[in-house]
Amino acid sequence: MSAGQRKLSKWAMHAILIVLSIVTLVPYGWLLIASLKNQDDFFSAIFLPPGDGVFGIGWDKLTLDNYQNLFGLGFGVNLVNSIFYSATTALAATLICAATGYVLAKHQFRGRNLITVVVLGALIVPPTLLLAPGYELLYDLGLLDTAWGLLLPLLAPAFGVFLFRQAVIQSVPDELLEAARIDGASEWSIFFIVVFPLVRPMIGAFMLITFLGMWNNFISPQIVLQTADKQPLSVAISQLRGVYKTDYGLLTAATVVSVLPVAALFLLLQKQFISGLTSGAVKG
Amino acid sequence: MQRLSNTILALRGLSSGVWVIATLLIVSAFFVLMRDPQEKGDLRFWLFSLEHRKMYIPLIERHEQTTNIKLDVELMSIPAIQSRMMSGFFGGLPTADLIEIERAVAPQVFMGPTEAIGLHDLTDLLIEEGLLEQLNQPSLAPWSVDGRVFGLPHDVHPVMLAYRADITEAAGIDVTQAQTWDEYFELLRPLMADTDGDGKPDHTPLSFWYTNQDMIETLMLQGDGQLFTQGGTPTIDSERNAWLLAKMTTWCVGSDPVAIYVDEWSAAGHRDKVDGLAIGYIAPDWMCSIWKMHVPGLDGKLKLMPLPAFEQGGRRTSVRGGTMLGIPKTTEQFDRAWEYAKLLYTSPEVARELYREVDIISPVRSLWDDPVYDEPDPFYMNQRKGRMYIELAPEIPLRPSSPYNKQAAIDVRDAMGQLAKFAEENRLYTIDELLPRARELLAGVQRQTERRMARNAFAAEDLAAAEHGGEE
Repeated sequence: MSAGQRKLSKWAMHAILIVLSIVTLVPYGWLLIASLKNQDDFFSAIFLPPGDGVFGIGWDKLTLDNYQNLFGLGFGVNLVNSIFYSATTALAATLICAATGYVLAKHQFRGRNLITVVVLGALIVPPTLLLAPGYELLYDLGLLDTAWGLLLPLLAPAFGVFLFRQAVIQSVPDELLEAARIDGASEWSIFFIVVFPLVRPMIGAFMLITFLGMWNNFISPQIVLQTADKQPLSVAISQLRGVYKTDYGLLTAATVVSVLPVAALFLLLQKQFISGLTSGAVKG
Repeated sequence: MQRLSNTILALRGLSSGVWVIATLLIVSAFFVLMRDPQEKGDLRFWLFSLEHRKMYIPLIERHEQTTNIKLDVELMSIPAIQSRMMSGFFGGLPTADLIEIERAVAPQVFMGPTEAIGLHDLTDLLIEEGLLEQLNQPSLAPWSVDGRVFGLPHDVHPVMLAYRADITEAAGIDVTQAQTWDEYFELLRPLMADTDGDGKPDHTPLSFWYTNQDMIETLMLQGDGQLFTQGGTPTIDSERNAWLLAKMTTWCVGSDPVAIYVDEWSAAGHRDKVDGLAIGYIAPDWMCSIWKMHVPGLDGKLKLMPLPAFEQGGRRTSVRGGTMLGIPKTTEQFDRAWEYAKLLYTSPEVARELYREVDIISPVRSLWDDPVYDEPDPFYMNQRKGRMYIELAPEIPLRPSSPYNKQAAIDVRDAMGQLAKFAEENRLYTIDELLPRARELLAGVQRQTERRMARNAFAAEDLAAAEHGGEE
């Protein structure tokens, strides 16, 4: 292939990617524009409302009213709640899963295999099946309508424990642990100083997955949290939908508010996320 | 100290994203922990409708001031109410003091024996306080088991036919002359001509399709089809049901079907409505407000009329959807909850708002004289539609409260799909030709439902009793 052909092929590739990017971004663009429209324009204009402005668009019809109304309804409280629940779950679950995964991978003790099988078995239980007994348990523990009631059941997901067990088996050589023990390091130090840095790619990936999972979690907070000022964004957004009618401007503004923080976080963590997902992919 | 510094050293290698999450946690925790906890009320009320909450709040606030009994109104989605309520009922845990329950969820509450239902039996109270006779009687059926009432009805939801009066009147057709569905389709046949040459009829008389379970159930009810008796015995394979299924299938098949699929909820469906793809639409009262909000292009183009009947002199309405208010047995303050229930469900103020905001008429007959129902509605060509719906309200068909009704209705829809396929494959387009196959299909649904019920010890007992002549 000549240099000219290579250049042409590169341009063609880029053109296709640009088209695909536009296709991907159109729904987000639509969402953003919809959040800036009033109710009449929402139904009459697919994208920007027509008017006398540049390109025949009614730029003056775009408004931030939906955002003002949204925060006027106390949406800021739900936003803070979502951040709190997601960040707590992401950090605590990562730490607990990494520690449990390390113990299951590298420590010999009676019942280790049984615990591993139980963890694997827990993966096949559908979470919805646990809603009713979980509700009863939380009631018995007096944890209904508390942040603990929401967070505790999510702090040691079986998926995370198994993921870190595999990551430790693959990335942490036994010789390194033995060397650390000979040097007099405690188990605590070994975990934080030796193991933790070696499973770093998995930490980023798992933290992001957990953060997003909690951010989008709808059913658990709906069931556990009953007071309005404790509910996260996902629940608050669902309550903007009426049974008979819906203020779509408000709903799209709320969706934008809920999408932006996680999009920003993904940009920050994307390198680790991808390397975490692909770690071990090329190992023999 | 050395251990701590080593740990910090190890954590330094973590990415900026992790630190961002940690910072977010610290900042948000500060706000969450510093916030004053919300003051708890004396009673709790779970409901699923934003609109209902808006209507109730002013009344509740006034009642709180006079009685000093605070009611916490907690809005949540229907699945959340369902999960919390059923978990509470099964586990014997406290739920709320008042719960608004939607028609699709309510039958689950009635799954076990009557005495084990998690809601208070309100029948005696309704009789004592003279409320029972004030309520539209058929509206009690979905919330009743063995003649006992377990919920106050929120609505009636009678059904009319909304039609594109702008198109029919321009064509000189008086649709209101149609007394039956056959007459309706015959009257509108001229509008099915293909004047624009696109190979399709310009308009089709009815928006209805064999994939829409709600519409099938609504029209079957109109035609006196019943999937269950009021006692809960399945009657899916009745001759009447088979006839109705065959009749409605003939509307959707053949070279010039009189029914067409117009999506009820999507933007594409709304576009089709504005374009006049179908002339007639099945319209429960609540649908009137939905069109105002979602299809403003129909403003001033629709009129309402009673549904054409299946036969001369037949029923001219049906029913679709519904909500009830129940008081769980776990409440410790039944009297207070009952006072609130009556306030919210029988107040003229709420009834008026309910109609003005969402076009729903109240089931309380003594409120039907309110002038609000006589207000002309410009969206519907100034028809006094509230009064029209009220006139039909006592005629709505009875609906069963069987927990198996929902799945049976889905199975009947599937049977109708198979019948339509059978009709097209064999080019059989008349009721008589389709009736034998309709009977077979419904018999299959009946067997399936009975098998499902046999798994439930309580329903199986009822089924056996009915088979031995215990129930007519």
